[in-house]
Amino acid sequence: MQRALRAGLSYHDFDVRTVGNGEDAVREAAAWRPDVILLDLGLPGMDGFETLRALRPATRAAVIVVSVMPGEKDKVRALDAGADDYVVKPFGTDELVARIRAVLRRQGDVPAGEPVIRAGDLEIDLARRLVSVNGQAVHLTPTEYELLRYLALHAGKPVTHTTLLRQVWGEYAVGDKYNTRYVVAQIRKKLGDDPANPRYVVNEPGVGYRLEA
Amino acid sequence: MTRRLAPYAVALGGAVAVTAAIGLVGAVLPVSGLSALYLLLVLWLATRWGRGPAVTGSVAAFLLYDFYFVPPVGTFTVRGPAELLELAVLLAVALVTSQLAASARRARATAEALAADSRSLYVLATGMLRAPDVAAGLSMVSTSAEQLPGVSRFSVTSGGVTLAGPALTPDEMRQAQWSFDSGKAIGAAIKDGLFRAMRTHGHATTAYLPLASGVVVIAVDTAVGEVSDLRMLAALVGLADLLLDRRRAALESERARGFEASDRMKTAILSSLSHELKSPIASLRAGLTALATPRAGMHPEQRELMEDMDRQATRLDHMVGELLLLSRLEAGVDLAREPHSFADIVGGSLRQLRGALRDRDVVVRVPTDLPDVEVDELQVGRVVTNLVENAIDWTPPHGGIEVGAATRDGVLEAWIENDGDAIPPADLDRVFDAFWTRRAHGTGLGLAIAKRVVDAHGGVIRAENRRRGPRFVFTLPLATVPAAQ
Repeated sequence: MQRALRAGLSYHDFDVRTVGNGEDAVREAAAWRPDVILLDLGLPGMDGFETLRALRPATRAAVIVVSVMPGEKDKVRALDAGADDYVVKPFGTDELVARIRAVLRRQGDVPAGEPVIRAGDLEIDLARRLVSVNGQAVHLTPTEYELLRYLALHAGKPVTHTTLLRQVWGEYAVGDKYNTRYVVAQIRKKLGDDPANPRYVVNEPGVGYRLEA
Repeated sequence: MTRRLAPYAVALGGAVAVTAAIGLVGAVLPVSGLSALYLLLVLWLATRWGRGPAVTGSVAAFLLYDFYFVPPVGTFTVRGPAELLELAVLLAVALVTSQLAASARRARATAEALAADSRSLYVLATGMLRAPDVAAGLSMVSTSAEQLPGVSRFSVTSGGVTLAGPALTPDEMRQAQWSFDSGKAIGAAIKDGLFRAMRTHGHATTAYLPLASGVVVIAVDTAVGEVSDLRMLAALVGLADLLLDRRRAALESERARGFEASDRMKTAILSSLSHELKSPIASLRAGLTALATPRAGMHPEQRELMEDMDRQATRLDHMVGELLLLSRLEAGVDLAREPHSFADIVGGSLRQLRGALRDRDVVVRVPTDLPDVEVDELQVGRVVTNLVENAIDWTPPHGGIEVGAATRDGVLEAWIENDGDAIPPADLDRVFDAFWTRRAHGTGLGLAIAKRVVDAHGGVIRAENRRRGPRFVFTLPLATVPAAQ
């Protein structure tokens, strides 16, 4: 698997290095400073989640978690532990390359000081706290704005319910998915978004929401 | 004999003593109405010993009083109604008081007997209920019952096994089984907290009393029947009932633990199986797709071959996934049910199928103000995905597919329909069978999974034909929480 991925990615002009366990991954990430790390959760030795937590202080690289377990619980856990994306095995090289390009684009996308985030005809002016669709101003409550802003800052990345709760309602937020669902329903209504065919806020079943980049 | 006569002697002696006291007091200080002292004596006699001694005391008192104090002193003459009245009063006091005292004594005796009964029953019951296991408790019940006079046997049986007391013969077991099945007692009954044996021609009878989870068999001599013993016997039958219930509860929880363990086992096996089956496919696909990249330097026909193989590996992965999902559903793995917007679920599924839907004309008719459904989001997403995938396969390019939902009779009714050929009427029911498919490359699992998920949610799913093509309709429960709108 590792050999196949290395070959496949190098054909797409990526410079690839591989390691066999979590400890080496953390060391290599600090020394070599890669842009993207593919992390298989089923690692020998150091457990995948431990590695993920250990990687975060060591690198600013985007981490894409690779796992054969399709369970949404693992997905949520990985995203909450700091992963940028999650790919379920088996997958083709093209799909993986698309995901890597997406996280790289996002990395480049979030330069500090960029005041306006655009997603299609949705515009979020962070400096002036203004939201508009097709140039038409949309009035959001502070909670709705905070949630949309957080999704926008991580546009394209699935954000878990837990993360949204913590980011929007605070560290000690008491609540459940029902809160985020309710607020997202309100936002969609105001943005004129159809939940069955959303253009902006996309449902990630069992995980959370994602703002379409 | 002496003990029975003693009260009378005391009554006579008391009358004499009171007479002497009246005589002495009267000699020193003449007071009228000293005769009331006799009343005290009679009252005391009546409460202490009852009617006989009290009456004896009153008659003796009257005679003595008449003889010593009523003029002419020294004779037993009765003159005038006043003296007769005095005698009558003394006798009446004696009778009424002794009656009252006697009934009070009887009530107290009954209360004490009841208290003693319940005390001993309490001791017995706590002992039995604290017994290390139900069998020990039941044999304690049986032993206590067989110590009661007239009870020669007290057996407890459940499910064809004698749990306590002498073992039942096959015939008796049949009787007991009949009694249990019909819920009818044979030969005796428990009424008003008493064990009541029915009269039979002989003296001894064998009674069968059905309980909630077993039968008590009691051999009892019908001639014997102290109320307290009958009450005790009834209470012991009640205890046996309790213990049998406890036994059943214990058996059930043991069985439930077994199920739980086997459920955990199934889940563990399924996830390790999933890992074992999917890892090789993952390596295959990674390798094949890497080689199929133009830069890998393969000839075009070699690349095509790689792509073919990758498609087959993808199909294999799909099949393994569906098989595992189906086994998980069959194993009865829990649903994570929460209120969800059905529109959201449809959105997720359609997004997943975006590529395959590119040249189909999709219409979504899911009102945004639909109430929430109480479902497992991922599983129901799977239902929608599978049904839409099925519709895609049977829709000609640029044909229409409609996904819709509405509330109806307190449930959500959703449908997925497509333009295309009708399903042969004979196949309408079979489409949901596992491994049954009309397609050459189908797994025959997609619709089977959809049916199992809908069933697990308590909904129904059916296939039908419209004029323009087939339609799949299924129902889902609505959430009790108001919708997030």
